[in-house]
Amino acid sequence: MSERMYPGMSPDERTTFSPYSAFDIPADLRQLHGRYDVASVARRVRNFRYAEEWMMMIMGGWVATIPEVPVKTGLGKVIWEGAQAADEFGKRLPELRCGRKAVEASEASNEGFAGFVQAVAGPETPDLTIEKLVGVFDVLKPHLVEIYETTMRETDQISDAPTIEILETAVRKTRRHIAWGQEVLDRLCDTEALRERRRARADELSEQLSASGGVTGTLASDRGQLN
Amino acid sequence: MKRFIEPNELARDSRFIRQDNAMATVLASMPDDVDAIVAAFEQFSPMIEESVRGTAAQELFEAYGPAFTLVVLNEPLDPDSAAATMRLILRMHGIFVGELQALEGAARSLWDFPDAPWEFKMNMARQCWDEGRHVQIFEKLLEHLGGHVGMFPESTFLFEAACSDDPAMRVAGVNRGLEGLACDVFRDMIRYAEKTGDEVMQQAVDYVLADEITHVRFGSEWVKEFTKGDPEHLQKTQDFRREVDKQFSFGGSRSDREDAAIPIAWEDRKEAGFSEEELQDLASVSAEGPSKETLTQAAQILRERFHAKRNGEGARS
Repeated sequence: MSERMYPGMSPDERTTFSPYSAFDIPADLRQLHGRYDVASVARRVRNFRYAEEWMMMIMGGWVATIPEVPVKTGLGKVIWEGAQAADEFGKRLPELRCGRKAVEASEASNEGFAGFVQAVAGPETPDLTIEKLVGVFDVLKPHLVEIYETTMRETDQISDAPTIEILETAVRKTRRHIAWGQEVLDRLCDTEALRERRRARADELSEQLSASGGVTGTLASDRGQLN
Repeated sequence: MKRFIEPNELARDSRFIRQDNAMATVLASMPDDVDAIVAAFEQFSPMIEESVRGTAAQELFEAYGPAFTLVVLNEPLDPDSAAATMRLILRMHGIFVGELQALEGAARSLWDFPDAPWEFKMNMARQCWDEGRHVQIFEKLLEHLGGHVGMFPESTFLFEAACSDDPAMRVAGVNRGLEGLACDVFRDMIRYAEKTGDEVMQQAVDYVLADEITHVRFGSEWVKEFTKGDPEHLQKTQDFRREVDKQFSFGGSRSDREDAAIPIAWEDRKEAGFSEEELQDLASVSAEGPSKETLTQAAQILRERFHAKRNGEGARS
């Protein structure tokens, strides 16, 4: 066989393998240049880690003060998966030039969002399971899914693919958490009065969340970009 | 949401009733003296009766009097012994609420210690999932044996004894004391299930035991980490663990003595990170309670006096 397996030094010493671009097999329509640069993605990841870490700590605080046994046990798994998400975000940070010690770095986008998280944590006594769950499963987690998906769409699809991978897993699990939490809430809110309690709590927190600009503090521009 | 809660703040649904923790303290500090044990139980008899009223334990109270816990705790589980199934269900129910409190203890560690290292939070979060599954497993096993949640009163003694506001002590109490006790109890349950051919129980408890060994290991590692470079703190932690171990030995019922109802699971504990020295210490601390002979005599006297009193009341009425 006269075909070359490896290229030589002169132009007529090329191999005979057919040329393809990096995107031809399979066809890849992704383009370079996303909405966020390295520093912006790092900031968003720190913000996401903050939300996931605080959410799992808050749910940890609630397990003992929620009387419904299936809610206690169900939260156990949600807590663990929240911790895993925070852990993955943390591991991404050194890859985004935040330093090796950045794996434990969480950062609220602003004081408004930090205040919103403390408001979610507010309900304490055993008669407030609805208020507790609404904050996480009707308001915060759906918001995170929205922002995670926005980030996945808007970030550089090739250069920032590792972040997208983490977000894909987080979205898949968070959607499952929301489905579980909302099924529990549907069951608990079995009268109009209780459904009203759920709505009132969700409205109050959603307003506070929007005012803060959400987990990244850029809710308005994120939504504007989508529109 | 505040940091640190009291045991009476553990939220429960309407199936549960509470048991006064004073009884557990009495059990943990009983001397090797028949008269002293009889006097203690007679003193607590009205409280014990009140706490079991309307629960499945009322049947055991009527049969054995206020010392029914002595019989239940002190005699090894044997499928051929009297009321074996009810005693097994009672133990299973105790494990179920123990798992519930372990879930609550691990979960509270996430909230109570916000500045703890991230790896600690990861371990506690993982433990939340595991303990949540254990609660589910033991609810299924309770049903498997014909029992149900809430059929016996719940003592919050485990949560109270283990949940310190110092993270090193918390992991020493919950992960090494409480989870270590779980290793001993589960190894005993597996032996029982093997004896009765109950493969469902045998396999499920074996999985749970594997998880518990991991949790004890978390405790072993974090006690070292939290007390690194501070021998005084380490000593305090070890003293606390010894105190918890003594309370969890229920007057020698869980010990390395030949007559122990629940033997120490020596090999499982070694795998979980307990040193030979710590195990020798545990064997010594847990053996400090009254002998089995003393407890048997006390239980017999209490049972006779209880029935005599009941018969007297019956005759008068």
